[in-house]
Amino acid sequence: MSKQVSTKKRTLLFVAFGWVLLLLGDRVGDLELYQGSFVATYALAITSIILLTGYSGQLSLGQSALMAVGAYAGALTIFNAGLHPIIGLFMAALVAGVFGLILGLIAARLSGPYLAGTTLALAISLPTLANQFPILGAEEGIVFDVGLPPARFGEDFSQYKWFFWISALATLVMVWFIANLLSTKYGRTFRALRDNPIAAELSGINVGRLKVTAFAISSGVAGLSGGLLVMLISGVSPSAFPLSLSFALLGGAVVTGLYNLKGVILGGLVLVAIPEIADSLVSRIGGSEGFITILPGFLVSALLILAVVFTPNGPGHLIKRHHKK
Amino acid sequence: MIRQFALPIWGSKMTEFITAVLTSLSSGAIYALMALAIVLVWRSTRVINFAQAGQAVLTTYIGYTVIQRTGSYWLALVVAVISGAIIGAIIDRFFMRPIFKRVKSGPIVMIAPVVATLGLLGIIQAIIGFIWGLTNQSIEAPVSTGGYKVMGKVIAFSSYNLLVLVAVAIAMLLLTILFQRTNIGLALRASAYSPEIARLSGIKVDAVRTLGWAIAGASGGLAGMLYIPGYFLYPNAMDLLLVFGFVAAVIGGLESLFGAVAGAMILGFAINFSTTYISQKLFFPTAFIVLVLVLLIKPSGLFAAKKSRGA
Amino acid sequence: MIRNKKMKRASLVSAVIATGAMVLSTLPAQAATPGVTASEIKLGISSPLTGSAGLSYGKVPGAMKAYFSYINANGGVYGRKINLISRDDKYLPTLAATQTTNLVLKDKVFALVGALGTATHSKAYKAAALAKNNVPDLFINTGFSGFTDKTKYPTTFMVLPTYAMEAKVIAKAIKDNFPGQATFLVAQDDEFGSDGVAGFKTAGHTFSAAPILYPQGSMTAARAEAALTALGATPGKPVVVLFGTTDVTATILKAAEKLALTTKFTWYAGSVGADANTLLALGVKPATIDGVISASFMPDAKDLTDPYVKQFADINAKYNKGITFDNYVLAAMNSAMLTVQALRAAGKNLTRAGVISAIENKGAKFASAGLVPLGYSPTSRIGYNGYWVSQLNAKGEGKPYGGKLVIYSTDSGAGLVEVSKFVRPTMPKNGIPTNS
Repeated sequence: MSKQVSTKKRTLLFVAFGWVLLLLGDRVGDLELYQGSFVATYALAITSIILLTGYSGQLSLGQSALMAVGAYAGALTIFNAGLHPIIGLFMAALVAGVFGLILGLIAARLSGPYLAGTTLALAISLPTLANQFPILGAEEGIVFDVGLPPARFGEDFSQYKWFFWISALATLVMVWFIANLLSTKYGRTFRALRDNPIAAELSGINVGRLKVTAFAISSGVAGLSGGLLVMLISGVSPSAFPLSLSFALLGGAVVTGLYNLKGVILGGLVLVAIPEIADSLVSRIGGSEGFITILPGFLVSALLILAVVFTPNGPGHLIKRHHKK
Repeated sequence: MIRQFALPIWGSKMTEFITAVLTSLSSGAIYALMALAIVLVWRSTRVINFAQAGQAVLTTYIGYTVIQRTGSYWLALVVAVISGAIIGAIIDRFFMRPIFKRVKSGPIVMIAPVVATLGLLGIIQAIIGFIWGLTNQSIEAPVSTGGYKVMGKVIAFSSYNLLVLVAVAIAMLLLTILFQRTNIGLALRASAYSPEIARLSGIKVDAVRTLGWAIAGASGGLAGMLYIPGYFLYPNAMDLLLVFGFVAAVIGGLESLFGAVAGAMILGFAINFSTTYISQKLFFPTAFIVLVLVLLIKPSGLFAAKKSRGA
Repeated sequence: MIRNKKMKRASLVSAVIATGAMVLSTLPAQAATPGVTASEIKLGISSPLTGSAGLSYGKVPGAMKAYFSYINANGGVYGRKINLISRDDKYLPTLAATQTTNLVLKDKVFALVGALGTATHSKAYKAAALAKNNVPDLFINTGFSGFTDKTKYPTTFMVLPTYAMEAKVIAKAIKDNFPGQATFLVAQDDEFGSDGVAGFKTAGHTFSAAPILYPQGSMTAARAEAALTALGATPGKPVVVLFGTTDVTATILKAAEKLALTTKFTWYAGSVGADANTLLALGVKPATIDGVISASFMPDAKDLTDPYVKQFADINAKYNKGITFDNYVLAAMNSAMLTVQALRAAGKNLTRAGVISAIENKGAKFASAGLVPLGYSPTSRIGYNGYWVSQLNAKGEGKPYGGKLVIYSTDSGAGLVEVSKFVRPTMPKNGIPTNS
């Protein structure tokens, strides 16, 4: 896809979308707002995967670890240092980004399964490390409190709406930023790197530096999404970022299209909605206790496989192929 | 079984060291079981198969049912290995082949199979739940699990541990011979390394790949039946083993079966020594540290062939 | 500009709500209580159904539903049928938060019962704004003492004794019965384990070596063998306290079998990890289980001479077909019975505040299978506050240690461990509460 959207047009689009979300936010209930916050957060996490894997071609199975780093950094900033929540979220992104920079330096030399293995090992180790330092609160974790909505918004401005505003705004801003980044020369260089690293190297692109940059930025984005996630559950703890989260995010990214940012909102929606749908479908069918316990997980996995088998490049590609015919 | 060693009387430091070595050997053997299966799939199809953990457990449940009916572990082992091969072949034929048809290049080649096999893992674990219920079971080991007695002390090594080690060694040898010395092995390697060229030279790449998955599935069946008696049987029983097996395989270089076993041993020693001498809390971080150290020195793993082979 | 629009909208909404409130206030108060209608009371539970935690605790919601079905078949609570909505949180804090929020906002339950896990429930409590919505959080399935803090968890009632209490009782039992022996502790490296470690400290008990703390999932056979080999060098017959889950207890006991160390130690399995049925299913030999000491606050599920156990086992056979009756089912049904009494005690005009004060004022006298007293009061959210020391035999039955049932009662702090003269209330006829 070579349609280049100008920055101005993109900004307008994002603002318009943000406005729509604002209006929508007034019309739906707390539950939808809460779910919407998760959609935004997961969309942001998927963005980090698309940047890292879809654009710079590095497969990481450890995004959950980077989210955890951001989440703890944010929690420590707010709780221990007593700073404003906005600074907390900023620190989440920054610290995770720095961590990602270091990790990226290691990762740049690794390809495919080697990187996957390293990030996998990181993902399973991080929870243990969090348990080691009392300042990180052990299993109960640290509180992550963004506080109540400002009084000037009135009595009916619920906590959930506040969550929604923060997460939606953070996601919009970050995705806008990344989208802009990718539309510049950077984006083209990334795509060149992804599609043919050898040719890219030959044409003078510093592949190593590019990969590290991608890792750092992607980690920063992941860190921010980690901070948002623990905002939604009011606290961070080691068990909040299990390996299965990395896998779920990867699945969401693949299902909605790994190669461009258009699908991220859909990806977030899929991660939130599909388990819900599976749950309600199963309760409608009924059956023995054992059956209804297992079935939702089965449906989600089945859907994932079908999606990967039939549209591994994302539904966008499928539509394009259809049009080409 | 009593063996005589010409060792001085064991002090506690000595005991600690010997125990660390023995437990490292048994851990390493177990990681090797999984690492072998992972390397098999990788060498013959260039895919990291996360469903391995589910396939191996599924075949072990099948083996468990055989034991319930017949009381024979060895029969169950044979059935598990055969059903592992069949299940592996089915998965490749009906899941992986359609994916490969649609995905030709770019990072998605790596990732789509990862996500697909993860989905498969979930499905397999659900199927196990449907058929056998979500309960804990155990399988009795075919040989004694009591530690050998050496100079009056019982050591942390039993006939069962020995069985696993021997089985791993034999499996590694047989499979290496298969890959390096037979035509089938050549076809497997060629189809994975360069499918187009293999096709041009008359190899039925798709069929060969299915064979590779069958062999890996069989190896997974063996792994499960050897691992579970020392642990217990439930749908997620081998999830963690998959992670360590994968890390071990990467340490060893993903290219050679010997590398898989060596990597597993290195990992087993590293984890058991660090937890014995430093802290139990290093159990998971050690895997990460060892992996990073190895890859910093050799980015393609310890026993991988030279870079000229390509990705 | 935007803020003015927001304020205008906000004031409009406020006006609508005020009008609505005035209208609603003319209807009977019942209509305002979520989850309660003339014919139904909706309760919710968020707990692990799948995943490794689901293996032990997956039976809990089904067992509670079975008891509620029994009550519903016998008139319900003042004619209202209890409907328990169960959601799977896989023991993950993020899922617990969303599922609990779903229960409150989507399913609109009256109260939560049996929420499980410390990290999971502490997050879920805040995320679902249970305090703000005054949603009763009854009889939670965790022993973490932090939940007794009324300022943090104003609507929560514990039922399990805290891990700290258990540690203190174990410490006393060791002191009384194994005075000269070395003692060692193996505990899970998280809040569950550290609660126990703190309890031992409060009881004044010092172990012979630093506790072996293992991250969850890291106690493999190899590690267990290494640990036991090291401990095996200690002279005499040391006491080894295992403060972990049942799969870890099984791993350690099997390692002892391998090293021929089963009789070298006196084994003390904390209640969380001492379910004999599970240990046997996981391959531990009956001879090894014989003699393992544990602590419990309930009668053993195999003791059908106990009227409560018999009654619950019968209900299980009729309403929970296919599920083996064990200690998990027993505990779940017991909590369900407490729940029914709480609902009854709140009166026909059922409100959230009503059920909370009902437990505060009358809860200590509720009938239950527990052999130790309940500590509910206007100032205390503690449920059972004691343990009796049990010993397992080769058949997997837990009988009183030393042959005579001695009930100990204590607190989570510096209070002494005292022998309790508690007499368990008689079971209501047929297990159907008639309290008010």
